[in-house]
Amino acid sequence: MTTLGQLVLSGIFIGGIYALMSMGLTLIFGVLRIVNFAHGEFLMLAMYGAWAITKMLGLNPYFAALAIVPAMFLFGAVVHQVIVRPALDKPHLVGVFATMGLSILMQNAALMVMTADLWDVPPIFGRSVEVGPFYFKAELLLGFAVTILCSLFLQWLIRSTYLGKAIRATVQDGEAAMLMGIPVPRIFLITFASGSALVGLSACMMMPLFSVFPTVGLNFVLIAFVIVVLGGMGSIEGALIGGMCLGVVQSVSSYYVAPAYGQMFYFVLFLLVMIFRPNGLLGQKGAATIGIND
Amino acid sequence: MRKWLRLGACLIATSFAFMAEDRSQAQEPIRIGVLLPLTGPFAKNGIENWEAMQIARDMINERGGINGRKIEYVNGDATSPAAAISETERLITKDGVKITTGSFASPLAIAVSQAAERQGVFHWETTGAAEIITRRGFKYTFQVGAPARRYGQVAVDFIIEDLSKRLNKSVNDLRIALLWENRAFGKSVGDGIRAYTGQKNIKPVYDEGYDQFSTDMTPIVQKLKDVKPDILIAISFPNDAILFQRKAKELDFNVAAFIGVSAGYSSPDLRNSIGSMVNGIFVADFPPKVNPDVLNPEIRKVADEFYKRYEAKMKRPPAGHAAAGFSAIWALFTDVLPKAKTFEPDELRDIALKLDLPEGSLVNGSGIKFTNFDWPDDPKDAGQNLRASIGVWQWTPEANEQVFPAKLATHAPAMVPLPDWSKR
Repeated sequence: MTTLGQLVLSGIFIGGIYALMSMGLTLIFGVLRIVNFAHGEFLMLAMYGAWAITKMLGLNPYFAALAIVPAMFLFGAVVHQVIVRPALDKPHLVGVFATMGLSILMQNAALMVMTADLWDVPPIFGRSVEVGPFYFKAELLLGFAVTILCSLFLQWLIRSTYLGKAIRATVQDGEAAMLMGIPVPRIFLITFASGSALVGLSACMMMPLFSVFPTVGLNFVLIAFVIVVLGGMGSIEGALIGGMCLGVVQSVSSYYVAPAYGQMFYFVLFLLVMIFRPNGLLGQKGAATIGIND
Repeated sequence: MRKWLRLGACLIATSFAFMAEDRSQAQEPIRIGVLLPLTGPFAKNGIENWEAMQIARDMINERGGINGRKIEYVNGDATSPAAAISETERLITKDGVKITTGSFASPLAIAVSQAAERQGVFHWETTGAAEIITRRGFKYTFQVGAPARRYGQVAVDFIIEDLSKRLNKSVNDLRIALLWENRAFGKSVGDGIRAYTGQKNIKPVYDEGYDQFSTDMTPIVQKLKDVKPDILIAISFPNDAILFQRKAKELDFNVAAFIGVSAGYSSPDLRNSIGSMVNGIFVADFPPKVNPDVLNPEIRKVADEFYKRYEAKMKRPPAGHAAAGFSAIWALFTDVLPKAKTFEPDELRDIALKLDLPEGSLVNGSGIKFTNFDWPDDPKDAGQNLRASIGVWQWTPEANEQVFPAKLATHAPAMVPLPDWSKR
């Protein structure tokens, strides 16, 4: 029982970290309806940033978020203007290839600049937190807490602010929104940049848990895609629940079946959800074309 | 008289022509195709190998080359098995290389040797290990490094001959767990250990494979914690090794001895990543540096120069695979190529098969004697070096020390039993 408890709780917490990383992707997909294949590389870039700030200034990687989040917002804005915007009104494949190309470019640039070395930040808390018979890394719990806060904030932003309303209007009908005076291109820009900023935040939360190297994004991007589709495309709370489901399934199946099959089992879950709830756990009908939930 | 003069002139002219041709041939470099992963996920180790190989090239060229001919490398970037095949074919068909070498990781070695064999090119594999590399009936593939099974066997031998005594338990009372990443290398080593422990009547209490790209080690560590092994043998790559050690600390999973097998546990990155957590971990691998007394006097000088140059260039001592890369390519330069006249693969193959170098002939303590479908252990094997040195070294607070087998050792094993995480 202790074992199962440890597995489920660890799965939920690590799933929270995955969810934070996927929120940017689901936000961008929900509004711009473009799949950012360079999402993993955005994560890699932000992790390098967090690592560099930690290393050079001797700061805690969580403080690095103060610099990394705005920096990734700017980076996202530039990528949007240069690469994404020109692809938006073109056939879908253009966006796929544009972001895929960016992904390969970023990976190889990282390899040239940073080499293939693995970089880490020293652990922040020396000991694990012991709760009864369970052990948790404090960094993991903190990351999970940030995920919850972040998803609450995003919910509030989308539901209760003017910007959120404008985003929802853009998602429902871009042309009508434009006629109502909503600057749709700017909404796209802000959304893409915010999605990137979210990746920046998750990178700062992940840096104390994982090493950074040029292909680190590949280890996570598949998980992010699964979570986004599982939770319902464009749904923030869906990403949260999808992330936790994936974390638990991966953890429990790896223990009780075999560690080599952890990935297989979350894909089984993924297929089941696709068969019985094609719009994802919390996605609305036609989510893939409608976008973000309102 | 005139006739004789004319004939003499002709002869002189012809001999001049021959001399000129001879000289041009003498100056023409020997080109070797080097297939290593210089980009992509294996680049880290690939680049370290490449540095070691460049040092070997520079050293041999500074000594005047091979029979007056300099060595020239032509590079191929073997990022993945598919890239390895196309890069090997490019070097052979476009650049015309007759000899290939490399390629660090087993899946790449399998691919490169296959492409080379198909084109009838001599391949001198430096560090690949998977058994299949030399078991496909290939004529021109020679693997200088130890086969995968030896990595595991030496770990088991270390337990039987050394650790069991230090832990005051008979081998059969020791609870041994085996954890392996489930791709070519990890699986091959895992299979080897399973077969070998079977022969020794040891039954591991845990034996599981896992995906090296896994992002959460909780289930693995939790299961091991429930199994309570005394000794864990793990075969991992760098990223998963780091994740595993951190998770082991997080979940307070302790063992009396931890033996990593090559790859991730031998990567110099490990200390940068997990700091002092690395101390005490044993690594079954190519020796990074052996007790110099086992080396023959001439190779000892070469070894000194190699270590000096490598440390000057890379600001740290070479890992085992880099030392193995140097050792293998140096043997090619000094024991194979000088005997060649045509450099055709059949000639090189004959030279390689005739090699009979005792242990201590290569910088990392290896000797060379290749199989040729004549190995009683496995008659399907051809081109595998039976005298490749392999041993166990340990991460210590200051450096890495060779601890097993005794004749290669520079240090006695320390930190046995391994202190619990709370005391480390």
